[in-house]
Amino acid sequence: MKLRISPSLALFAAAALAAVTACSPGSSSGGGGDPNVFEFWSFSGIDQQRDVDDYMRAHPEIRIELTEVGSTTETAQALTTALAGGKVPDLVLIQGDDLPKFVQQPQNFHDLREFGADEIKGDYLDWVMEQAVAQGGEIIGIPTDVGGLAVAYRKDLFAEAGLPTDREEVSQMWSTWDDFIEVGKRYKEATGKAFLDNVPTSVFFQAVNQVSQKYYDDAGNPIYDRNPEVKAAFDLALRAIEADISARISFGSDGWNAALPRGDFAVVSAPSWLLDQIRRYAPDTAGKWDVARIPGGAGNWGGSYLAIPARAQNPQAAWNYIREMQSPEHQLQHFLDVGALPTTPSVYDDPQLTGKRDEFFSGAPTGEIYTQALLGLKPFHMGPDTGTIGTEFLNALTNVEQGSGDPATAWDDAVRNIRTAIGA
Amino acid sequence: MADTTAGSVIGTTMTGGAAPGRARSSGRLGRVRWWSYLLLGVAAFASIFPLYWMFVVASTDSATATQMPPEIVPGDNFFHLAGLVFDTVPFLQAIGNSLVVATTIGVGQAVLCALGGFAFAKLHFRGRDVLFLIVVLTMTVPTQLAIIPQYMIISWLGWVDTLQAITVPGLASAFGIFWMRQHIAATVSDELVQAARIDGASTWQIFWRIAFPIVRPAAFVLGLFGFVTAWNDFLWPFIVLKSPERFTAQIAIKALQNSYTIDLGLAMSGSFLATLPLLVLFVFVGKRMVAGILEGAFKG
Amino acid sequence: MTATRVTATPTPRAPARAPHRRPAGWALPLRERIAPYAYIAPFFVLFGVFGLIPFLFTFYIALFEWNPIGDQTFTGFDNFVRMLGDARFWNATRNTVSIWLLSTVPQLLVALVLAHVLNHARLRFALFFRMSILVPYITSVAATAIVFAQMFDRDYGLLNWLLGLVGIGSIDFVQSVWGSHVMIAVMVAWRWFGYTTLLYLASLQAVPRDLYEAASIDGAGGWAQFRHITVPSLRPVIIFTVVTSTIGGLQIFTEPLLVARTTNLTCGPVRQCQTLTLFLYEQGFGQYQFGYGAAIGVALFVMIILVAAVNYLLSARIRGA
Repeated sequence: MKLRISPSLALFAAAALAAVTACSPGSSSGGGGDPNVFEFWSFSGIDQQRDVDDYMRAHPEIRIELTEVGSTTETAQALTTALAGGKVPDLVLIQGDDLPKFVQQPQNFHDLREFGADEIKGDYLDWVMEQAVAQGGEIIGIPTDVGGLAVAYRKDLFAEAGLPTDREEVSQMWSTWDDFIEVGKRYKEATGKAFLDNVPTSVFFQAVNQVSQKYYDDAGNPIYDRNPEVKAAFDLALRAIEADISARISFGSDGWNAALPRGDFAVVSAPSWLLDQIRRYAPDTAGKWDVARIPGGAGNWGGSYLAIPARAQNPQAAWNYIREMQSPEHQLQHFLDVGALPTTPSVYDDPQLTGKRDEFFSGAPTGEIYTQALLGLKPFHMGPDTGTIGTEFLNALTNVEQGSGDPATAWDDAVRNIRTAIGA
Repeated sequence: MADTTAGSVIGTTMTGGAAPGRARSSGRLGRVRWWSYLLLGVAAFASIFPLYWMFVVASTDSATATQMPPEIVPGDNFFHLAGLVFDTVPFLQAIGNSLVVATTIGVGQAVLCALGGFAFAKLHFRGRDVLFLIVVLTMTVPTQLAIIPQYMIISWLGWVDTLQAITVPGLASAFGIFWMRQHIAATVSDELVQAARIDGASTWQIFWRIAFPIVRPAAFVLGLFGFVTAWNDFLWPFIVLKSPERFTAQIAIKALQNSYTIDLGLAMSGSFLATLPLLVLFVFVGKRMVAGILEGAFKG
Repeated sequence: MTATRVTATPTPRAPARAPHRRPAGWALPLRERIAPYAYIAPFFVLFGVFGLIPFLFTFYIALFEWNPIGDQTFTGFDNFVRMLGDARFWNATRNTVSIWLLSTVPQLLVALVLAHVLNHARLRFALFFRMSILVPYITSVAATAIVFAQMFDRDYGLLNWLLGLVGIGSIDFVQSVWGSHVMIAVMVAWRWFGYTTLLYLASLQAVPRDLYEAASIDGAGGWAQFRHITVPSLRPVIIFTVVTSTIGGLQIFTEPLLVARTTNLTCGPVRQCQTLTLFLYEQGFGQYQFGYGAAIGVALFVMIILVAAVNYLLSARIRGA
C-alpha cells in the first residue's frame, strides 16, 4: 500500500497549523494605529447614523465605523463583554438606565476631564451631567439627549367623553396626579374605555422621578424603603390601579402597538422620543393627538451618554467627535432633524426650538413643552442599583394591576424582593 | 467488487445483524384509515401555519398582525417591504455571510465529528472513556456564561469582528460527537472492524471504506443540523461582529428593529427573507434530510 | 484488500485463521497507536479552546463574587449558600421543570403516534408529510417567538380570538404562570416534534414485518404487538430522545427571553416564566453578579446529570425484544 496522505493526518496538520498561526494575536480591525479612524457602537432607534454622516462630511479625512444594532440593553451587554476582557470600541453610546453600573466602575472608561470635559461641563443640565460623574469626580460620559416628559392625549376621544381638548385647559385640569386620576375616572364613566395604557410606566415611573431624593440619599446610602416620597408615589399608583382606568397593556409589548391605533387608551405619558413611536404606529391618527403638561409639572424619561472606554485605540478622535457633535448648536440641530431633546439649556430659548410645532400633534410646541418639563427637575442621586430597585417596584405594581397581586402587601413584597436582589 | 460485498455487509449491519434473507419492513400493511390522514394533515398544518402567517404579515403591514377577525390572506405589499429591508440593512451581504459560516460549520462538524466519533466508538486508546465523558458533560452547562471567556479568547486571537470568530468555535460540537459516536457504535459492529484488522486494514481504511459509508447519512444529517443552527444563531454573532458588512442574516434582521418597539411588517419581512434560503435549501435536500434521519437511525 | 475477505460472517472464520493471528502481546505499529489521537485531535483542539475552557471557567468563577468589569473577590461557597436560600432560584427551578415536562412529554407522545401513523407502507403523500413536520425546525427561534407572542396575545391574539368564538374568555397567557408555561412549551414542542417523529419512524421501519405477521398469527392483538414488538424496538432511540430532550429542555433560554420582552430578563413581573438559564443570564449580565450566575450554572449541571441518569435508567428498563 502506498503511503497516502490520509485526510485525517491532513486535518490534524491543518488544525495544528491554524492553532499555531492563530496564537499570535493578530491585528484588530478598525482603529488600530490610524488616528483618523475610530469605532463607534450605538443601539438602534436613535439615528446616530445621521450625526455620523454629518461629521464625516464636515471632516472628510475622518472615517467612523458605526455599528447601530440591538436594543439598549443588548448593546450594554455587548459593551460589558468587551470591557471584561477584549476588544473595545473607541466610542460607545450608553442609555441612562444602563449607565449607573458603568459609572460605578469608572476605571473602565477614560476620565473625560483629561480631554477637557471640565470646560464644557457647564453647557449641560446639572442633574443630567451628575449621573455620569463617578464617586471620585471622574466624568465618564457626555449627555446626548434626554426624554423630557409630557402627556400625549387623543383630542377626539376627550371630546367624545365631554372633556376639554385645548392643551392649556387640559394641563390645568390635571396639574396634580390625583387630579389626573379623577380625569381618568370621568373618562371611563363617559366612554367605558380605558384611559391610560398602564399605571406602572405612565403613573408610577413618572411620579417617582419628580422627587428630591429617590432610592438613594445624597451620600449614596440606599433609602428606598424609608423614603416617604417613594412610598407616596407607590401609593398613588395603587390608587390609580384601584380606579380601574388602565388598559393594563405593558409599554413596548405587541399589545401596545396594536392598541395604539385603535384608540384603546386615550393618554400615555410620553417623553419626546415616544412621539415618534406614536407617529409610526398610528399614522392614521394624525392630527387627533395633542400634548399637555405632565401632572406634577416636571419629568424625564430616558437619555443617553457618550463614553470612551479606557482601552480605546483612538480616544482623541472619539473625543473630537463628542466635543463637536454634542455642542449646544449641534444638539439643537439634532433636535430639529430628529426630535431628540437637547441637554444644553442655552438653546432652550432659541426661537427655532420654541417655535417648533408638531403637526401630527395638532401643532403642539413640543420643544417648549418638553424643555419646560426638564427645568423643573431636581437632581437626585442615582445609585448603582437604581435600575434594579425601580424594576422591582414596577413589577410589584404590574402584578397588582394584572389582578394577581394583593395591593395590601405589594409594598412589602417589593421591598423584600429588592432586598433579595441587591442584598441591602 | 469490493463494493458489492461491502454492500452486503452494510445491508446486514443496518438490519441489526439479522440473518440475510429476512424481509426488511417498510411499514405496516393494511388500509390507511382516514383519520390517519386527518392527524397528519393537522400536524402539517400546525407546522407550516406560523411560517405562512409570517408571510402574510410580511406582505401587508403591522396592523394585519393584530387584526380581528384575523387576516390570513397575503397582501401585495411584499416587495415594498422587502425592498425596505434591503435598503435599511446590507441584507444580501448578510445572507452571503450566513451562507459561508453555516456551510463551513455544517461540513466541518460532519467531518470532525465523524472522525472523532469513530475514534471514540471503535478505536481503543488510553483515556478514551474519560475523554468522551468530559465531552458529554460539557453539554450540560448552559453556554450563556461562556460568552465572556469566549470573547476573551477571541479577542486575544485578534478575531473580533471576523467571520472566523463565529465559525471556528462552532466546529467542535459536543452534541455532534455524541451523535456520531452513538450512530457508529450502533451500526458498525466490532466484528466487522476486527475482521478488517485481521485482514491488515489500517485504521484509516477501516474508517474511510467501512465505517464512513455506513454512517454517511447520519453525518449528512448532522451537517444539516449544524448548518441550520448556525444560520439561526443570534447572540454570539451579535456580540462579536461589529462591522455591518460582516453581519449575518440574524443580526441584519435585528438591525431592522427599533429599541423599544418592533415594526412587525418590516420585522416579519426580514425574518421571512432570512428563512427563505433555508426553505430553498430544504426543498432541494429535504428529501435527503428525511432519508438521512430515517436511514441513519438506531437499530435495536 | 480482496473482495472475498470482507464478508458477512467473520466470526466463524476467525478460528480458521488463528495460526496467522498475531500473538496477544504484540502491539500495533506506532502509526496505528497514535491514529486514534490523530482522529480526535482536530476536534479536541477546538473543543479544548472553545468548549472546555469556558466550561471550566464557569466552575471557577462560581467561587467568586465576580463583577465582569469591576471587583472579583474569592468567596468560596457563599454563592451556593445564597442560592439555596434564594426564593427566586427555587421559583426558576419549578418553572424550568414545569416547562420541561410540559414541552417534552406531549412532544414525545405525539411523535410516537405520528411515527406509528407514518409507518404505513401504503401511505400517500408520505414525503410531503415528512418534510412538512421539519419546517418548524428551520424557522429561526427569534422569528417564531414574535409570531407566537402575537398569536397568544391577551387582547389581540389569534388564539384568544378563536377561544372567544367558542365562548371562552380571554386568557392572559403571558402574565399567568400556567399560561406562560404552556405558551413556551408549545413553542418548544412545535419546534422539535417533527425531528423526533422521524427518529421514531426510522426505528419503526427497521422492525421486520414478519415479526408483526408472526405475532398476529399467534393471536396477539394490536396493543400486544405495540407493547411487545414496537416499544422494545424503539428502546435505543427513546433513550436517546429522552436524554437529549432532558439536557435541552432543562436549559431552555431563548423562548422565555423573547416572549416577555417588556420585562426583559425576568420573564414576567413575578418571574412567572423565568427558567434557570434565564435567571443565570439575568444575574450575570443584568446584575453583574457573574459568580452567582455561575453557581446557578453549576446547580443546573448537577440537576441535568441527575435527571438524565434517572431517565436513562428508567428507559433502559423497557424490556428488550
